[in-house]
Amino acid sequence: MAVFIQTVVAGILMGGIYALIGIGMTLIMGVMKIINLAHGQLMMVAMYITYVLYEYVHLDPYAALLITMPCLFILGAVLQRSLLNPLIKVESILPENQVLMTVGIGMVLTELARMIFHSDYKSVRPPYTSMSLYAGSIAFNLPMVIAFGIAVLLTIGLFLFLLKTDVGKSVRATAQNKEAALLLGVNAERITIFTYGLGAALVAAAGTLLLPIYYLFPDLGGAFTLKAFVITILGGLGSTVGAIVGGVVLGVSESLGATYISMALKDAVGMVIFLLVLIFLPGGLKRLTKI
Amino acid sequence: MKKLLCVALCLGLLGAFGGASAWAADTLRVGIILPITGAKANFGEIEKLSFEMALQEINAAGGINGKKLEFLFEDDTGRPEVARSAAEKLITKDKVLMLGGGYGSSETFAIAGVAQQNRIPFLVNTGSDDKITEQGWEYIFRLNPPVSEYPKALESFLTEVVKPKTAAILYENTNFGTSGSQEFKAICQRLGIQVVVEEGYEHGGVDFKPILVKVKDKNPDLVYMISYVMDASLLMRQAMELRIKPKLFVGGAAGFTLPEFPKNAGKAAEKVFSATLWYQTLKYPGAMDYYNKFVATYKKDTEYHGAEAYAAAYVIADTLKRAKSTSPDDIRKALSETDMMTVFGPVKFISYDKKINQNRLPTYLVQWIDGRLELVWPKELATKPYVYPIDWDAVWK
Repeated sequence: MAVFIQTVVAGILMGGIYALIGIGMTLIMGVMKIINLAHGQLMMVAMYITYVLYEYVHLDPYAALLITMPCLFILGAVLQRSLLNPLIKVESILPENQVLMTVGIGMVLTELARMIFHSDYKSVRPPYTSMSLYAGSIAFNLPMVIAFGIAVLLTIGLFLFLLKTDVGKSVRATAQNKEAALLLGVNAERITIFTYGLGAALVAAAGTLLLPIYYLFPDLGGAFTLKAFVITILGGLGSTVGAIVGGVVLGVSESLGATYISMALKDAVGMVIFLLVLIFLPGGLKRLTKI
Repeated sequence: MKKLLCVALCLGLLGAFGGASAWAADTLRVGIILPITGAKANFGEIEKLSFEMALQEINAAGGINGKKLEFLFEDDTGRPEVARSAAEKLITKDKVLMLGGGYGSSETFAIAGVAQQNRIPFLVNTGSDDKITEQGWEYIFRLNPPVSEYPKALESFLTEVVKPKTAAILYENTNFGTSGSQEFKAICQRLGIQVVVEEGYEHGGVDFKPILVKVKDKNPDLVYMISYVMDASLLMRQAMELRIKPKLFVGGAAGFTLPEFPKNAGKAAEKVFSATLWYQTLKYPGAMDYYNKFVATYKKDTEYHGAEAYAAAYVIADTLKRAKSTSPDDIRKALSETDMMTVFGPVKFISYDKKINQNRLPTYLVQWIDGRLELVWPKELATKPYVYPIDWDAVWK
């Protein structure tokens, strides 16, 4: 029983971070109708910023959130404005080519990181990283719990923002129907820039929260882009609630799969669920939650 | 204007490539394939620096019969398909005399296949999957012991000191990890140790708790892990978190002896044992000098991987000196007749069991004591007495 509970706990905690990674991609998906294949690489950039701040300025990774999120917001907005939006204007270029552009952006970011930091593994290890809370025999890793908590707070904040503010409403309007939003006076181009920035800032938060638990190297992005992609599909393209559920489902099923099937097949478990959802629930978990 | 620039660039590139093969006359070129970028770059770096250090010494001492030795490094990025094309490039385009290097077992196996096919001698210095020298490939030679022999010293430590009843084996699901775990399982059977958990995992995981929970549930006397460095650190940190307390944790070399291991695992690295192939205080001529020179030159620690590479460079130099001509067959013959002493120990290629062209060396057991890697077994060579039994609560406080 303890094995089962510990497995589920580990899965849920991991799922919180997965959800944060997935939400950013899903937002971008909702508004621009493209899969952002540079998502994991943007996270890697945020992690390097966190690392540099910790190593040279001795800034705690959680405080670094206040810097990495705005930085990545700006980076994301600039990328959208100067690299992705111009592609829409050229008629002969299919909108799908924006996706190819994100692949290119991802590669460039990876190689830039390799040029500056080399391939070495970096890690950030403030003293509390190996602390754990214990409830009976169940261990809760402290940085994971903090990361989970901050992920939940950020998600709530995002929801309030999307539901209550004008800009948030414009984002949702653009996602629902771009033409109608345009007719009603929403500046769609500005909204796409804003959304890409927001998506980048959210994944930056995920990266910064993950760094005390994990480690960092330039090629880390690809694996997390894939995770984000799976979560986005699981959740139903463009659905934020779906992305949260998708993240937690992925975290828990990977964890259960690793315990009860085999850890060597951990990624396969995620992919099997991905396929099952595509076959039996083509709209993703969104179909169940209706949001 | 843009087009012109393009043309100029292309021409420039052509020139650069064309020029490369022109000045080969009085240097002897050997291709070295290592993971210089990618997930295994740590190991590749230590080995590359050691190769370069040896190369400088060899050339400063007069080179190979008056000719300069040159190493052409290629990056395999830790991927077999890249390793394969790197080997093909070195053989067909750069026309190297022989190949060296080979870190990850999967990559080494790929390179070995290409080398054998092209009949170019290949001296493996790290890739340790047993099957690399079990294919009957007469052009492939291996300096380091195969992974199945890594726990030889551990075996005597277990029978004489620990006498465990149960064991858990965690391994990376690659050639290196799988082959190592099978061999360790065979050892367990021989010693009457019951294997209660045997789990492979995918390299680069964030959360190893699912498999560690299983280990905790079975509470084995011994946990044996075959991992590269970052997985090793995470495994130990999360084992500490879950308070898994076996009689001892043992790493199967690779990640567990690198200086990055305690740096990333912190106090979770303390008192962990590991198999190793070399230690600087061993009584091999030049071993300590190599260690000191490396630390002084590069301002960082080195360990058995570096020593392997350094020794391999000298074996390559020695082979080329003795070879009657620079034809691959003469070099292969010279390599097979190697009988020399290196910082890594005596090198002589023999055939035993199913293996051919395999160097046979003893292995050792090290332990992280107060943040330093100390040789603890065999007892007569130990630099510090081993710490056992271990009070994990005190170590992890």
